[in-house]
Amino acid sequence: MIKTYRMYWEFTRKSFQRSAAYRVDSWSRVLGNVMSLGIWGCIWFALYYGKGSVENISFHSMLSYILISMALQGIHNAGTPLWEIQRRVRTGDIAIELLRPYDYPLRMLFTDLGSMSFYFITAIFPLYTLIFIFFQPNIPLSASQWGLFLLSAVLGYLIRYSLELTFGLFTFWLVETGGVEDIFYFSISLFSGSVVPLWFFPDWLASIASLLPFQGIYFVPNAIFVGELSGQAILPALLNQVIWLLICYGLLRFVWAKASQKVVVQGG
Amino acid sequence: MSIIEVKHLYKEFKIPKRQEGLAGALRSLFHRQYLTKLAVNDISFSIDSGEMVGYIGPNGAGKSTTIKMLTGILVPSSGDIRVNGLIPYKERQRNARQIGVVFGQRSQLWWDLPTIESFELLKQVFQIPADRYRQNMVRFRKILDLDEFLHTPVRQLSLGQRMRADIAAALLHDPKIIFLDEPTIGLDVVAKERMRSFIREINQDRGVTVILTTHDMSDIEKLCQRMILIDNGQVMYDGELAKIKETFGKTRILIVDLEEDIVDFSLAGVEVIKQEGNRHWLKFNRDTITASQLISRISENYNVRDISIQDPEIEVLIRNIYENTLPLIID
Repeated sequence: MIKTYRMYWEFTRKSFQRSAAYRVDSWSRVLGNVMSLGIWGCIWFALYYGKGSVENISFHSMLSYILISMALQGIHNAGTPLWEIQRRVRTGDIAIELLRPYDYPLRMLFTDLGSMSFYFITAIFPLYTLIFIFFQPNIPLSASQWGLFLLSAVLGYLIRYSLELTFGLFTFWLVETGGVEDIFYFSISLFSGSVVPLWFFPDWLASIASLLPFQGIYFVPNAIFVGELSGQAILPALLNQVIWLLICYGLLRFVWAKASQKVVVQGG
Repeated sequence: MSIIEVKHLYKEFKIPKRQEGLAGALRSLFHRQYLTKLAVNDISFSIDSGEMVGYIGPNGAGKSTTIKMLTGILVPSSGDIRVNGLIPYKERQRNARQIGVVFGQRSQLWWDLPTIESFELLKQVFQIPADRYRQNMVRFRKILDLDEFLHTPVRQLSLGQRMRADIAAALLHDPKIIFLDEPTIGLDVVAKERMRSFIREINQDRGVTVILTTHDMSDIEKLCQRMILIDNGQVMYDGELAKIKETFGKTRILIVDLEEDIVDFSLAGVEVIKQEGNRHWLKFNRDTITASQLISRISENYNVRDISIQDPEIEVLIRNIYENTLPLIID
């Protein structure tokens, strides 16, 4: 058990080292993230111009929302299992992964943990510390709020991870997955509340979003962070995340079991 | 005692049938037709522990498909496979612990990291005991000369270096069986020879069972006592290499470039199989005429500019067997 854990942990370490070999990539990602933050900051500034608050949400809360959302997205984007699995299936390198005595989805998660923590330590954390000091957004004020936010953010990460890997696995059947990829990225950018919080959705769209797993990825942790989701309302939101995580993980295991039985290794 | 047992193995692939033209492309969006390709068609063999076997056949014969089923990454359509008592596709992860695989055309090393890091990762992956790992590393560093590039990122290695690193990676966990899929492809003569002597060594010293696919005739000649020859998904020959060479390897091809333009070039005991300008391809049998006899006879009569001898290539040999349906005679 401990040995197994150490094996997966070794992937985290190696991937951390690998990220360090590509520092420029890390910096260019930061630049992209900051640009995206600038764009969304400006859009929300323009939308709020001349208004004190919209739907009882002040501009300050909205700014806080977009800041924490972009910080989380920065972390999420350090690991892209969809592209990774696509590349491996297309080149046939997936064969190597199947010839190892480990669980591929789990090893991917641990590998991404390495690149994610490298990116977090060297880029996201220092950058957003400065940004937060400059803009003074709403941040959690109590240890319990911090704790709940972190818990919710981790759940959100795992939900996205399971979903993204599942979508990536469709490459086994389709080889060309541009369409599937688009569906995934579109759904995530709309329904997860990554740039538009769910409270601004028209009712019909909000009710669709509430039935999907995506809101657990960014919306719930963001809302806890800025204090819009608090007190009694937090528990059902977290429960919803846990349930969706179980469903998404179950789906991932199911699709993986099917996919690994259906390997067609490209190129001999 | 047999370590690999394959009985009546079949593997079918369904390939979507492409329809021609724009209309066909549209039609296939809604209604797809499939062709069934039988890649492995009733293959049976058994391999004893410690054997070194060449698994040979032309491109598309079903070699890689068989290897993939033996390693557990492909599920057979029907038939039985046992690899050291395990059914590979059912117990893929357990099977992975007892086998090593080298694909000549793809690397199992981490592209961006120094070579040594991949070895250390494998140490964890296969949970190799520390002293065993150390012993193996000392040994591999010596015979495979790993030291010169152990701290170089894999992406900067030459092909020869990468192959050496890859084979070390496949053997680090002391597998009982190793599958080598074209291990010498693209290597220069020196690197090839080195690879071969290493393969021989692990087979003889450690008793590792080796299954080797290759298109290089000298790989087989220098390494394998036994050869399983397949074509169109079926076993064409399974037996000693010496026997097959004796039967089929007698013909040689002599290529001569003549100074002058001769239309009806002919010599007794020799068959002209091809002609292009002044170049002639002559097929002869080693038993009826030696190469030196042939060359002296040609140079007596003609002005020769250049001369070379072609070994019977493995593909030619296989074609010979296939076309003449000769396996029945040998067996």
